[in-house]
Amino acid sequence: MAAPTAPRNGDNVLLSATGLVKSLGGKRVVEGIDMTCRAGEVLGLLGPNGAGKTTTLRMCYGFLRPDAGQIRIAGHDLATEGDAARRALGVCTQDDTFDSEFTVRGNLVQTGRYYRPRQEDLLARIDVLIERFGLGPFANQKPETLSGGFKRRLMIARAVVHNPRVAFLDEPTTGLDPQARVAVWELINGLRAEGLAVVLTTHYMDEAERLSDRLLVLQAGKVRAAGQSREVLGDVVGEHVVLLSAQADGTAQVIEWLRSRGARPAQILADWHVALDAPGLAAFVAAHPDLRYEVRPPTLDDLFLALASEDRR
Amino acid sequence: MNPYLPAFAWQSHAVLGRHLRVHLRNWYTATLPPVCEPLIMLLAFGVGLGRQIGTLTWNGAPMDYMHYLAPGILAYTAFMSSFFQSLFGAYIRMHFQKSWEGQLTTQLRLEHVVWGEALWAATLATAYAAIVCLVLAGFGLADQLALHWAWLPVVMPLIFLAALSFSAIGLYFTAIIPSIDHMSLPFFLVIMPIGFASSTYFPLPDVPWLTATAQLNPLHHLAEGLRGLLLNGQATWHLAASGGLCLLLLAALIPVDMRLLRKRVFGDG
Repeated sequence: MAAPTAPRNGDNVLLSATGLVKSLGGKRVVEGIDMTCRAGEVLGLLGPNGAGKTTTLRMCYGFLRPDAGQIRIAGHDLATEGDAARRALGVCTQDDTFDSEFTVRGNLVQTGRYYRPRQEDLLARIDVLIERFGLGPFANQKPETLSGGFKRRLMIARAVVHNPRVAFLDEPTTGLDPQARVAVWELINGLRAEGLAVVLTTHYMDEAERLSDRLLVLQAGKVRAAGQSREVLGDVVGEHVVLLSAQADGTAQVIEWLRSRGARPAQILADWHVALDAPGLAAFVAAHPDLRYEVRPPTLDDLFLALASEDRR
Repeated sequence: MNPYLPAFAWQSHAVLGRHLRVHLRNWYTATLPPVCEPLIMLLAFGVGLGRQIGTLTWNGAPMDYMHYLAPGILAYTAFMSSFFQSLFGAYIRMHFQKSWEGQLTTQLRLEHVVWGEALWAATLATAYAAIVCLVLAGFGLADQLALHWAWLPVVMPLIFLAALSFSAIGLYFTAIIPSIDHMSLPFFLVIMPIGFASSTYFPLPDVPWLTATAQLNPLHHLAEGLRGLLLNGQATWHLAASGGLCLLLLAALIPVDMRLLRKRVFGDG
Protein backbone atom coordinates (compact mmCIF):
# COMPACT_ATOMS: atom_id res chain seq x y z
CA MET A 1 0.00 0.00 0.00
CA ALA A 2 1.34 3.42 -0.85
CA ALA A 3 1.83 5.89 1.99
CA PRO A 4 -0.79 8.63 1.90
CA THR A 5 0.60 11.84 0.49
CA ALA A 6 0.40 14.88 2.71
CA PRO A 7 -2.22 17.26 1.39
CA ARG A 8 -1.00 20.67 0.39
CA ASN A 9 -3.07 23.03 2.44
CA GLY A 10 -1.95 22.87 6.01
CA ASP A 11 -3.32 20.83 8.85
CA ASN A 12 -6.95 21.86 8.93
CA VAL A 13 -8.22 18.29 8.90
CA LEU A 14 -12.02 18.24 8.76
CA LEU A 15 -12.48 14.54 8.10
CA SER A 16 -10.33 11.98 9.80
CA ALA A 17 -11.11 8.27 9.63
CA THR A 18 -8.76 5.73 11.12
CA GLY A 19 -8.82 1.95 11.10
CA LEU A 20 -12.31 1.59 9.66
CA VAL A 21 -13.54 -1.98 9.60
CA LYS A 22 -16.99 -3.14 8.55
CA SER A 23 -18.59 -6.49 7.82
CA LEU A 24 -21.97 -6.79 6.14
CA GLY A 25 -23.88 -10.04 5.86
CA GLY A 26 -20.95 -11.91 7.39
CA LYS A 27 -18.50 -10.61 4.77
CA ARG A 28 -15.67 -8.19 5.55
CA VAL A 29 -16.37 -5.25 3.23
CA VAL A 30 -13.98 -2.66 4.66
CA GLU A 31 -10.73 -3.72 6.24
CA GLY A 32 -8.69 -1.06 8.02
CA ILE A 33 -9.19 2.05 5.91
CA ASP A 34 -7.59 5.35 6.97
CA MET A 35 -8.46 8.62 5.28
CA THR A 36 -8.29 12.34 5.88
CA CYS A 37 -9.67 15.34 4.08
CA ARG A 38 -8.74 18.92 4.80
CA ALA A 39 -10.54 22.23 4.40
CA GLY A 40 -10.62 23.34 0.75
CA GLU A 41 -9.65 19.91 -0.51
CA VAL A 42 -11.44 17.42 -2.74
CA LEU A 43 -10.59 13.81 -1.94
CA GLY A 44 -11.49 11.39 -4.75
CA LEU A 45 -12.46 7.95 -3.54
CA LEU A 46 -11.95 5.45 -6.34
CA GLY A 47 -12.14 1.74 -6.82
CA PRO A 48 -13.94 -0.91 -8.81
CA ASN A 49 -17.43 -2.07 -7.83
CA GLY A 50 -17.30 -3.90 -4.51
CA ALA A 51 -14.12 -2.12 -3.41
CA GLY A 52 -15.88 -0.69 -0.35
CA LYS A 53 -16.31 2.93 -1.47
CA THR A 54 -19.96 3.33 -0.64
CA THR A 55 -19.66 1.40 2.65
CA THR A 56 -16.73 3.62 3.67
CA LEU A 57 -18.66 6.72 2.75
CA ARG A 58 -21.77 5.51 4.57
CA MET A 59 -19.72 4.96 7.72
CA CYS A 60 -18.22 8.43 7.42
CA TYR A 61 -21.59 10.13 7.24
CA GLY A 62 -23.10 8.06 10.00
CA PHE A 63 -25.36 5.81 7.96
CA LEU A 64 -23.48 2.69 9.07
CA ARG A 65 -21.69 2.04 12.34
CA PRO A 66 -18.11 0.85 11.88
CA ASP A 67 -17.21 -2.44 13.59
CA ALA A 68 -13.89 -0.82 14.50
CA GLY A 69 -12.16 2.48 13.91
CA GLN A 70 -12.85 6.11 14.60
CA ILE A 71 -14.34 8.89 12.50
CA ARG A 72 -13.98 12.56 13.37
CA ILE A 73 -15.88 15.25 11.53
CA ALA A 74 -14.62 18.80 12.15
CA GLY A 75 -13.05 17.53 15.35
CA HIS A 76 -16.17 15.73 16.61
CA ASP A 77 -16.14 12.00 17.16
CA LEU A 78 -19.06 10.58 15.17
CA ALA A 79 -19.60 7.81 17.73
CA THR A 80 -19.62 9.92 20.89
CA GLU A 81 -20.54 13.41 19.61
CA GLY A 82 -22.96 12.26 16.93
CA ASP A 83 -25.13 15.37 16.85
CA ALA A 84 -22.25 17.82 16.49
CA ALA A 85 -20.52 15.60 13.93
CA ARG A 86 -23.68 15.19 11.88
CA ARG A 87 -24.30 18.91 12.04
CA ALA A 88 -20.91 19.44 10.40
CA LEU A 89 -21.43 17.12 7.44
CA GLY A 90 -23.63 17.14 4.36
CA VAL A 91 -24.48 14.24 2.08
CA CYS A 92 -25.46 13.90 -1.55
CA THR A 93 -26.35 10.24 -2.01
CA GLN A 94 -26.05 8.26 -5.22
CA ASP A 95 -29.83 8.00 -5.56
CA ASP A 96 -32.12 11.00 -5.49
CA THR A 97 -33.79 11.07 -2.10
CA PHE A 98 -35.96 14.13 -2.48
CA ASP A 99 -39.06 14.52 -0.45
CA SER A 100 -41.55 14.19 -3.27
CA GLU A 101 -44.25 15.91 -1.20
CA PHE A 102 -42.42 19.25 -1.38
CA THR A 103 -41.30 21.66 -4.09
CA VAL A 104 -37.65 22.42 -4.80
CA ARG A 105 -37.71 25.26 -2.27
CA GLY A 106 -39.81 23.15 0.10
CA ASN A 107 -37.21 20.39 -0.02
CA LEU A 108 -34.50 22.83 1.00
CA VAL A 109 -36.67 24.26 3.79
CA GLN A 110 -37.64 20.82 5.09
CA THR A 111 -34.08 19.50 5.00
CA GLY A 112 -32.89 22.65 6.76
CA ARG A 113 -35.42 22.05 9.52
CA TYR A 114 -33.71 18.76 10.33
CA TYR A 115 -30.84 20.89 11.69
CA ARG A 116 -33.03 23.18 13.79
CA PRO A 117 -31.77 26.51 12.41
CA ARG A 118 -33.18 29.95 13.05
CA GLN A 119 -35.99 30.32 10.52
CA GLU A 120 -34.77 33.63 9.07
CA ASP A 121 -31.21 32.30 8.69
CA LEU A 122 -32.50 29.22 6.92
CA LEU A 123 -34.67 31.19 4.50
CA ALA A 124 -31.82 33.57 3.70
CA ARG A 125 -29.46 30.64 3.09
CA ILE A 126 -32.01 28.98 0.80
CA ASP A 127 -32.37 32.13 -1.28
CA VAL A 128 -28.59 32.17 -1.73
CA LEU A 129 -28.47 28.48 -2.67
CA ILE A 130 -31.36 28.73 -5.13
CA GLU A 131 -29.58 31.59 -6.86
CA ARG A 132 -26.15 29.97 -6.82
CA PHE A 133 -27.33 26.56 -8.00
CA GLY A 134 -29.48 28.04 -10.77
CA LEU A 135 -32.67 26.62 -9.29
CA GLY A 136 -34.63 29.87 -9.38
CA PRO A 137 -36.91 29.04 -12.34
CA PHE A 138 -37.87 25.73 -10.72
CA ALA A 139 -38.12 26.80 -7.08
CA ASN A 140 -41.85 26.18 -6.92
CA GLN A 141 -41.89 22.98 -8.94
CA LYS A 142 -41.78 19.44 -7.63
CA PRO A 143 -38.32 17.85 -7.97
CA GLU A 144 -39.56 15.06 -10.24
CA THR A 145 -40.25 17.64 -12.95
CA LEU A 146 -36.56 18.63 -13.10
CA SER A 147 -34.00 17.32 -15.57
CA GLY A 148 -31.30 14.97 -14.29
CA GLY A 149 -28.75 17.77 -14.02
CA PHE A 150 -31.00 20.02 -11.99
CA LYS A 151 -32.04 17.14 -9.76
CA ARG A 152 -28.36 16.65 -8.92
CA ARG A 153 -27.97 20.36 -8.31
CA LEU A 154 -30.85 20.21 -5.88
CA MET A 155 -29.33 17.17 -4.15
CA ILE A 156 -26.04 19.03 -3.68
CA ALA A 157 -27.81 22.22 -2.57
CA ARG A 158 -29.74 20.15 -0.04
CA ALA A 159 -26.50 18.59 1.20
CA VAL A 160 -25.06 22.01 2.03
CA VAL A 161 -28.23 23.79 3.16
CA HIS A 162 -26.98 23.88 6.78
CA ASN A 163 -23.49 25.19 5.95
CA PRO A 164 -21.58 21.98 6.70
CA ARG A 165 -17.77 21.73 6.91
CA VAL A 166 -17.52 18.38 5.10
CA ALA A 167 -19.53 17.31 2.03
CA PHE A 168 -19.83 13.69 0.90
CA LEU A 169 -20.80 13.41 -2.75
CA ASP A 170 -21.48 9.85 -3.83
CA GLU A 171 -21.30 9.64 -7.62
CA PRO A 172 -22.88 13.06 -8.07
CA THR A 173 -22.73 13.10 -11.87
CA THR A 174 -23.68 9.53 -12.76
CA GLY A 175 -26.10 9.49 -15.67
CA LEU A 176 -25.71 13.17 -16.58
CA ASP A 177 -24.97 14.54 -20.03
CA PRO A 178 -21.59 16.28 -20.49
CA GLN A 179 -22.98 19.79 -20.12
CA ALA A 180 -24.77 18.94 -16.90
CA ARG A 181 -21.64 17.20 -15.58
CA VAL A 182 -19.55 20.30 -16.17
CA ALA A 183 -22.15 22.40 -14.36
CA VAL A 184 -21.95 20.05 -11.36
CA TRP A 185 -18.13 20.17 -11.50
CA GLU A 186 -18.30 23.94 -11.21
CA LEU A 187 -20.51 23.65 -8.16
CA ILE A 188 -18.10 21.19 -6.56
CA ASN A 189 -15.23 23.55 -7.29
CA GLY A 190 -17.26 26.27 -5.64
CA LEU A 191 -17.64 24.16 -2.50
CA ARG A 192 -13.89 23.64 -2.43
CA ALA A 193 -13.31 27.37 -2.85
CA GLU A 194 -15.64 27.98 0.09
CA GLY A 195 -13.32 25.87 2.23
CA LEU A 196 -15.37 22.70 2.52
CA ALA A 197 -13.67 19.36 2.68
CA VAL A 198 -15.28 17.40 -0.16
CA VAL A 199 -15.17 13.62 -0.42
CA LEU A 200 -16.17 12.48 -3.88
CA THR A 201 -16.76 9.04 -5.33
CA THR A 202 -17.05 8.65 -9.06
CA HIS A 203 -16.66 6.14 -11.84
CA TYR A 204 -15.67 8.89 -14.28
CA MET A 205 -11.91 8.98 -14.37
CA ASP A 206 -11.72 12.36 -16.04
CA GLU A 207 -13.92 13.75 -13.30
CA ALA A 208 -11.74 12.29 -10.56
CA GLU A 209 -8.63 13.65 -12.22
CA ARG A 210 -10.03 17.13 -12.79
CA LEU A 211 -11.71 17.63 -9.45
CA SER A 212 -9.63 15.75 -6.90
CA ASP A 213 -6.65 17.20 -5.09
CA ARG A 214 -5.85 13.73 -3.86
CA LEU A 215 -7.07 10.26 -4.66
CA LEU A 216 -7.66 7.30 -2.42
CA VAL A 217 -7.88 4.07 -4.36
CA LEU A 218 -9.72 1.24 -2.65
CA GLN A 219 -9.54 -2.39 -3.58
CA ALA A 220 -11.19 -5.28 -1.76
CA GLY A 221 -11.93 -3.07 1.24
CA LYS A 222 -8.39 -1.77 1.65
CA VAL A 223 -6.47 1.31 0.53
CA ARG A 224 -4.55 0.21 -2.54
CA ALA A 225 -2.93 3.58 -3.28
CA ALA A 226 -3.22 7.18 -2.12
CA GLY A 227 -1.86 10.51 -3.22
CA GLN A 228 -2.04 12.82 -6.20
CA SER A 229 -3.23 11.18 -9.38
CA ARG A 230 0.23 10.88 -10.99
CA GLU A 231 1.64 9.23 -7.88
CA VAL A 232 -1.29 6.84 -7.63
CA LEU A 233 -0.99 5.90 -11.29
CA GLY A 234 2.74 5.33 -10.90
CA ASP A 235 2.16 3.11 -7.87
CA VAL A 236 -0.60 0.98 -9.32
CA VAL A 237 -0.26 1.12 -13.09
CA GLY A 238 3.33 2.04 -13.91
CA GLU A 239 4.94 4.93 -15.74
CA HIS A 240 3.90 4.16 -19.31
CA VAL A 241 1.11 2.48 -21.19
CA VAL A 242 1.84 0.78 -24.50
CA LEU A 243 -1.04 0.42 -26.96
CA LEU A 244 -0.87 -2.38 -29.53
CA SER A 245 -3.35 -3.12 -32.27
CA ALA A 246 -4.97 -6.49 -31.60
CA GLN A 247 -5.35 -7.04 -35.36
CA ALA A 248 -1.70 -6.50 -36.29
CA ASP A 249 0.43 -9.47 -37.37
CA GLY A 250 2.48 -10.94 -34.59
CA THR A 251 0.60 -9.23 -31.78
CA ALA A 252 -0.27 -12.55 -30.16
CA GLN A 253 3.43 -13.41 -29.86
CA VAL A 254 4.23 -9.97 -28.42
CA ILE A 255 1.51 -10.35 -25.84
CA GLU A 256 2.88 -13.77 -24.87
CA TRP A 257 6.35 -12.20 -24.59
CA LEU A 258 4.99 -9.46 -22.34
CA ARG A 259 3.14 -11.98 -20.15
CA SER A 260 6.28 -14.05 -19.81
CA ARG A 261 7.99 -10.97 -18.37
CA GLY A 262 5.27 -10.39 -15.77
CA ALA A 263 3.27 -7.69 -17.58
CA ARG A 264 -0.52 -7.88 -17.53
CA PRO A 265 -1.87 -6.83 -20.92
CA ALA A 266 -5.59 -6.04 -21.11
CA GLN A 267 -7.55 -6.01 -24.34
CA ILE A 268 -10.05 -3.21 -24.83
CA LEU A 269 -11.91 -3.48 -28.13
CA ALA A 270 -9.27 -3.39 -30.90
CA ASP A 271 -6.25 -2.57 -28.72
CA TRP A 272 -4.09 -4.23 -26.14
CA HIS A 273 -3.10 -1.95 -23.23
CA VAL A 274 0.12 -2.81 -21.42
CA ALA A 275 1.39 -0.84 -18.41
CA LEU A 276 5.18 -0.79 -18.12
CA ASP A 277 7.76 0.93 -15.94
CA ALA A 278 10.79 2.61 -17.54
CA PRO A 279 13.07 -0.46 -17.58
CA GLY A 280 10.19 -2.58 -18.88
CA LEU A 281 9.53 -0.10 -21.67
CA ALA A 282 13.23 0.00 -22.58
CA ALA A 283 13.32 -3.81 -22.75
CA PHE A 284 10.13 -3.85 -24.84
CA VAL A 285 11.50 -1.29 -27.31
CA ALA A 286 14.76 -3.17 -27.63
CA ALA A 287 13.05 -6.53 -28.15
CA HIS A 288 10.57 -5.31 -30.79
CA PRO A 289 12.34 -2.73 -32.93
CA ASP A 290 10.02 -3.14 -35.95
CA LEU A 291 6.72 -3.24 -34.10
CA ARG A 292 4.19 -0.39 -34.53
CA TYR A 293 2.76 0.77 -31.20
CA GLU A 294 1.86 3.87 -29.24
CA VAL A 295 3.19 4.90 -25.85
CA ARG A 296 1.27 7.28 -23.62
CA PRO A 297 1.15 8.22 -19.94
CA PRO A 298 -1.26 6.12 -17.86
CA THR A 299 -4.75 7.39 -17.12
CA LEU A 300 -7.17 6.53 -14.36
CA ASP A 301 -8.91 4.22 -16.82
CA ASP A 302 -5.70 2.21 -16.89
CA LEU A 303 -5.80 2.21 -13.12
CA PHE A 304 -9.23 0.61 -13.16
CA LEU A 305 -8.11 -1.98 -15.67
CA ALA A 306 -5.08 -2.75 -13.52
CA LEU A 307 -7.21 -3.13 -10.41
CA ALA A 308 -9.72 -5.32 -12.22
CA SER A 309 -6.87 -7.45 -13.49
CA GLU A 310 -5.48 -7.80 -9.95
CA ASP A 311 -8.96 -8.73 -8.69
CA ARG A 312 -9.27 -11.50 -11.30
CA ARG A 313 -5.93 -12.91 -10.21
CA MET B 1 -28.59 3.74 23.82
CA ASN B 2 -31.98 4.01 25.53
CA PRO B 3 -34.49 3.36 22.73
CA TYR B 4 -37.26 5.39 24.41
CA LEU B 5 -35.50 8.70 25.02
CA PRO B 6 -35.45 9.77 21.34
CA ALA B 7 -39.26 10.09 21.62
CA PHE B 8 -38.60 13.39 23.39
CA ALA B 9 -35.81 14.61 21.06
CA TRP B 10 -36.36 17.62 18.81
CA GLN B 11 -35.26 15.52 15.84
CA SER B 12 -38.22 13.14 16.30
CA HIS B 13 -40.52 16.13 16.56
CA ALA B 14 -39.01 17.52 13.33
CA VAL B 15 -40.09 14.31 11.58
CA LEU B 16 -43.53 14.64 13.16
CA GLY B 17 -43.63 18.25 11.93
CA ARG B 18 -42.80 17.15 8.40
CA HIS B 19 -45.67 14.64 8.33
CA LEU B 20 -48.03 17.20 9.81
CA ARG B 21 -47.11 19.78 7.17
CA VAL B 22 -47.70 17.31 4.35
CA HIS B 23 -51.02 16.25 5.87
CA LEU B 24 -52.29 19.78 6.45
CA ARG B 25 -51.69 20.69 2.82
CA ASN B 26 -54.23 18.02 1.90
CA TRP B 27 -56.49 18.56 4.89
CA TYR B 28 -59.68 18.77 2.85
CA THR B 29 -59.27 15.28 1.40
CA ALA B 30 -57.48 13.88 4.44
CA THR B 31 -60.36 14.82 6.74
CA LEU B 32 -63.01 13.04 4.70
CA PRO B 33 -62.31 9.47 5.89
CA PRO B 34 -62.36 10.20 9.64
CA VAL B 35 -65.61 12.15 9.19
CA CYS B 36 -67.32 9.78 6.79
CA GLU B 37 -66.29 6.47 8.32
CA PRO B 38 -67.91 6.92 11.75
CA LEU B 39 -70.86 8.63 10.10
CA ILE B 40 -71.43 5.64 7.85
CA MET B 41 -70.79 3.19 10.69
CA LEU B 42 -73.23 4.93 13.01
CA LEU B 43 -75.86 5.19 10.30
CA ALA B 44 -75.40 1.69 8.88
CA PHE B 45 -74.78 -0.23 12.08
CA GLY B 46 -76.04 2.05 14.84
CA VAL B 47 -79.24 3.12 13.17
CA GLY B 48 -79.75 0.44 10.50
CA LEU B 49 -78.57 -2.74 12.19
CA GLY B 50 -79.48 -1.31 15.59
CA ARG B 51 -83.17 -1.34 14.61
CA GLN B 52 -82.96 -5.05 13.81
CA ILE B 53 -81.04 -5.82 17.01
CA GLY B 54 -83.20 -3.73 19.29
CA THR B 55 -81.57 -3.82 22.70
CA LEU B 56 -78.62 -5.81 23.93
CA THR B 57 -77.26 -6.46 27.40
CA TRP B 58 -74.04 -4.88 28.54
CA ASN B 59 -72.80 -5.33 32.12
CA GLY B 60 -76.21 -6.71 33.01
CA ALA B 61 -78.04 -3.63 31.77
CA PRO B 62 -80.07 -3.33 28.55
CA MET B 63 -79.04 -0.73 26.01
CA ASP B 64 -79.64 0.03 22.34
CA TYR B 65 -76.97 -0.89 19.84
CA MET B 66 -76.21 2.73 18.86
CA HIS B 67 -75.05 3.51 22.40
CA TYR B 68 -73.02 0.32 22.60
CA LEU B 69 -71.38 1.10 19.28
CA ALA B 70 -70.36 4.77 19.80
CA PRO B 71 -67.47 4.24 22.29
CA GLY B 72 -66.37 1.19 20.29
CA ILE B 73 -66.00 3.29 17.15
CA LEU B 74 -63.83 5.73 19.08
CA ALA B 75 -61.52 2.94 20.26
CA TYR B 76 -61.44 1.28 16.86
CA THR B 77 -60.53 4.57 15.17
CA ALA B 78 -57.48 4.96 17.44
CA PHE B 79 -56.43 1.41 16.66
CA MET B 80 -57.05 1.33 12.93
CA SER B 81 -55.78 4.81 12.02
CA SER B 82 -52.56 4.35 13.93
CA PHE B 83 -51.88 0.89 12.59
CA PHE B 84 -52.66 1.91 9.02
CA GLN B 85 -50.42 4.99 9.15
CA SER B 86 -47.48 3.22 10.77
CA LEU B 87 -47.72 0.34 8.33
CA PHE B 88 -48.81 1.68 4.92
CA GLY B 89 -47.68 5.28 5.41
CA ALA B 90 -44.32 4.45 6.95
CA TYR B 91 -43.60 1.65 4.48
CA ILE B 92 -44.28 3.91 1.51
CA ARG B 93 -42.09 6.67 2.94
CA MET B 94 -39.33 4.21 3.75
CA HIS B 95 -39.39 2.07 0.64
CA PHE B 96 -40.87 4.03 -2.24
CA GLN B 97 -40.52 7.72 -1.43
CA LYS B 98 -37.04 7.27 0.08
CA SER B 99 -37.84 10.05 2.51
CA TRP B 100 -36.29 8.04 5.36
CA GLU B 101 -32.99 7.89 3.50
CA GLY B 102 -33.11 11.64 2.90
CA GLN B 103 -33.79 12.25 6.58
CA LEU B 104 -31.05 9.87 7.70
CA THR B 105 -28.39 11.84 5.85
CA THR B 106 -29.14 14.85 8.06
CA GLN B 107 -28.85 15.34 11.81
CA LEU B 108 -31.54 12.68 12.31
CA ARG B 109 -30.78 9.13 13.36
CA LEU B 110 -32.95 6.09 12.74
CA GLU B 111 -34.33 6.31 16.29
CA HIS B 112 -35.65 9.79 15.50
CA VAL B 113 -37.20 8.71 12.20
CA VAL B 114 -38.91 5.72 13.83
CA TRP B 115 -40.18 7.71 16.80
CA GLY B 116 -41.27 10.45 14.39
CA GLU B 117 -43.36 7.87 12.52
CA ALA B 118 -44.82 6.46 15.75
CA LEU B 119 -45.65 9.90 17.14
CA TRP B 120 -47.20 10.93 13.85
CA ALA B 121 -49.37 7.80 13.69
CA ALA B 122 -50.53 8.42 17.26
CA THR B 123 -51.15 12.13 16.63
CA LEU B 124 -53.14 11.45 13.49
CA ALA B 125 -55.15 8.70 15.18
CA THR B 126 -55.92 11.02 18.10
CA ALA B 127 -56.96 13.79 15.70
CA TYR B 128 -59.22 11.32 13.88
CA ALA B 129 -60.67 10.24 17.24
CA ALA B 130 -61.38 13.90 18.01
CA ILE B 131 -63.23 14.17 14.70
CA VAL B 132 -65.20 11.05 15.59
CA CYS B 133 -66.12 12.80 18.85
CA LEU B 134 -67.52 15.68 16.81
CA VAL B 135 -69.56 13.25 14.72
CA LEU B 136 -70.85 11.62 17.92
CA ALA B 137 -71.71 15.07 19.23
CA GLY B 138 -73.70 15.64 16.04
CA PHE B 139 -75.72 12.51 16.78
CA GLY B 140 -76.13 13.79 20.32
CA LEU B 141 -77.55 17.06 19.04
CA ALA B 142 -79.99 15.04 16.94
CA ASP B 143 -81.12 13.19 20.09
CA GLN B 144 -79.79 9.92 18.78
CA LEU B 145 -77.05 9.56 21.36
CA ALA B 146 -76.68 10.46 25.02
CA LEU B 147 -73.14 10.22 26.40
CA HIS B 148 -71.27 11.76 29.30
CA TRP B 149 -69.85 14.34 26.91
CA ALA B 150 -67.54 16.00 29.43
CA TRP B 151 -65.36 12.88 29.47
CA LEU B 152 -64.57 13.04 25.76
CA PRO B 153 -61.62 15.48 26.04
CA VAL B 154 -60.37 13.64 29.12
CA VAL B 155 -59.98 10.33 27.29
CA MET B 156 -57.79 11.84 24.56
CA PRO B 157 -54.45 11.19 26.34
CA LEU B 158 -55.38 7.52 26.76
CA ILE B 159 -56.38 7.33 23.11
CA PHE B 160 -52.99 8.86 22.19
CA LEU B 161 -51.14 6.30 24.33
CA ALA B 162 -53.15 3.43 22.84
CA ALA B 163 -52.53 4.70 19.31
CA LEU B 164 -48.81 5.02 20.05
CA SER B 165 -48.64 1.41 21.15
CA PHE B 166 -50.63 0.25 18.11
CA SER B 167 -48.18 2.13 15.91
CA ALA B 168 -45.39 0.01 17.38
CA ILE B 169 -47.20 -3.06 16.00
CA GLY B 170 -47.54 -1.36 12.60
CA LEU B 171 -43.84 -0.49 12.56
CA TYR B 172 -42.96 -4.08 13.42
CA PHE B 173 -44.67 -5.21 10.23
CA THR B 174 -43.12 -2.32 8.29
CA ALA B 175 -39.79 -3.81 9.30
CA ILE B 176 -40.52 -7.42 8.39
CA ILE B 177 -42.90 -7.60 5.43
CA PRO B 178 -40.92 -8.60 2.35
CA SER B 179 -42.81 -6.33 -0.08
CA ILE B 180 -45.93 -4.24 -0.45
CA ASP B 181 -47.65 -7.30 -1.93
CA HIS B 182 -47.60 -8.80 1.57
CA MET B 183 -49.49 -5.91 3.17
CA SER B 184 -52.64 -8.00 3.55
CA LEU B 185 -50.84 -10.35 5.95
CA PRO B 186 -50.69 -7.99 8.94
CA PHE B 187 -54.34 -7.13 8.40
CA PHE B 188 -55.22 -10.80 8.38
CA LEU B 189 -52.90 -11.70 11.26
CA VAL B 190 -53.32 -8.67 13.52
CA ILE B 191 -56.12 -6.28 12.61
CA MET B 192 -58.85 -8.87 12.29
CA PRO B 193 -58.01 -10.93 15.41
CA ILE B 194 -57.48 -7.86 17.60
CA GLY B 195 -60.54 -6.15 16.13
CA PHE B 196 -62.88 -9.12 16.48
CA ALA B 197 -61.70 -10.09 19.97
CA SER B 198 -62.20 -6.62 21.36
CA SER B 199 -65.88 -5.87 22.02
CA THR B 200 -65.64 -2.75 19.88
CA TYR B 201 -68.54 -3.55 17.55
CA PHE B 202 -70.32 -6.31 19.46
CA PRO B 203 -70.16 -7.85 22.94
CA LEU B 204 -67.85 -10.85 23.16
CA PRO B 205 -69.72 -14.16 23.33
CA ASP B 206 -69.48 -15.97 26.64
CA VAL B 207 -66.73 -18.34 25.52
CA PRO B 208 -64.09 -18.91 28.23
CA TRP B 209 -61.01 -18.99 26.01
CA LEU B 210 -62.13 -15.92 24.09
CA THR B 211 -62.89 -14.02 27.27
CA ALA B 212 -59.48 -14.99 28.65
CA THR B 213 -57.70 -13.96 25.44
CA ALA B 214 -59.49 -10.62 25.37
CA GLN B 215 -57.99 -9.78 28.77
CA LEU B 216 -54.65 -9.42 26.97
CA ASN B 217 -56.10 -7.24 24.23
CA PRO B 218 -55.56 -3.51 24.91
CA LEU B 219 -58.24 -2.61 22.35
CA HIS B 220 -60.81 -4.63 24.31
CA HIS B 221 -59.97 -2.77 27.51
CA LEU B 222 -59.93 0.57 25.69
CA ALA B 223 -63.39 -0.05 24.23
CA GLU B 224 -64.79 -1.28 27.56
CA GLY B 225 -63.11 1.54 29.48
CA LEU B 226 -64.47 4.19 27.13
CA ARG B 227 -67.90 2.56 27.32
CA GLY B 228 -67.92 2.70 31.11
CA LEU B 229 -66.82 6.32 31.10
CA LEU B 230 -69.00 7.64 28.29
CA LEU B 231 -72.15 5.62 29.03
CA ASN B 232 -72.11 5.46 32.82
CA GLY B 233 -69.65 8.20 33.74
CA GLN B 234 -67.60 5.61 35.65
CA ALA B 235 -63.86 5.09 35.42
CA THR B 236 -63.47 1.30 35.46
CA TRP B 237 -60.40 -0.92 35.81
CA HIS B 238 -60.46 -1.39 32.02
CA LEU B 239 -58.96 2.08 31.60
CA ALA B 240 -56.00 1.18 33.79
CA ALA B 241 -55.68 -2.21 32.09
CA SER B 242 -55.70 -0.57 28.68
CA GLY B 243 -53.05 1.97 29.70
CA GLY B 244 -50.89 -0.70 31.32
CA LEU B 245 -51.08 -3.10 28.37
CA CYS B 246 -50.31 -0.28 25.95
CA LEU B 247 -47.23 0.72 27.96
CA LEU B 248 -46.11 -2.91 28.04
CA LEU B 249 -46.62 -3.23 24.31
CA LEU B 250 -44.59 -0.07 23.69
CA ALA B 251 -41.81 -1.12 26.04
CA ALA B 252 -41.55 -4.53 24.41
CA LEU B 253 -41.93 -3.59 20.75
CA ILE B 254 -39.99 -0.35 20.32
CA PRO B 255 -36.53 -1.94 20.86
CA VAL B 256 -37.52 -4.79 18.53
CA ASP B 257 -38.77 -2.31 15.90
CA MET B 258 -35.53 -0.35 16.12
CA ARG B 259 -33.38 -3.44 15.68
CA LEU B 260 -35.41 -4.83 12.77
CA LEU B 261 -35.68 -1.49 11.01
CA ARG B 262 -31.93 -0.90 11.42
CA LYS B 263 -31.36 -4.19 9.68
CA ARG B 264 -33.87 -3.38 6.98
CA VAL B 265 -32.77 0.20 6.26
CA PHE B 266 -29.01 -0.16 6.66
CA GLY B 267 -28.61 -3.86 5.90
CA ASP B 268 -26.79 -3.88 9.21
CA GLY B 269 -27.70 -6.19 12.10
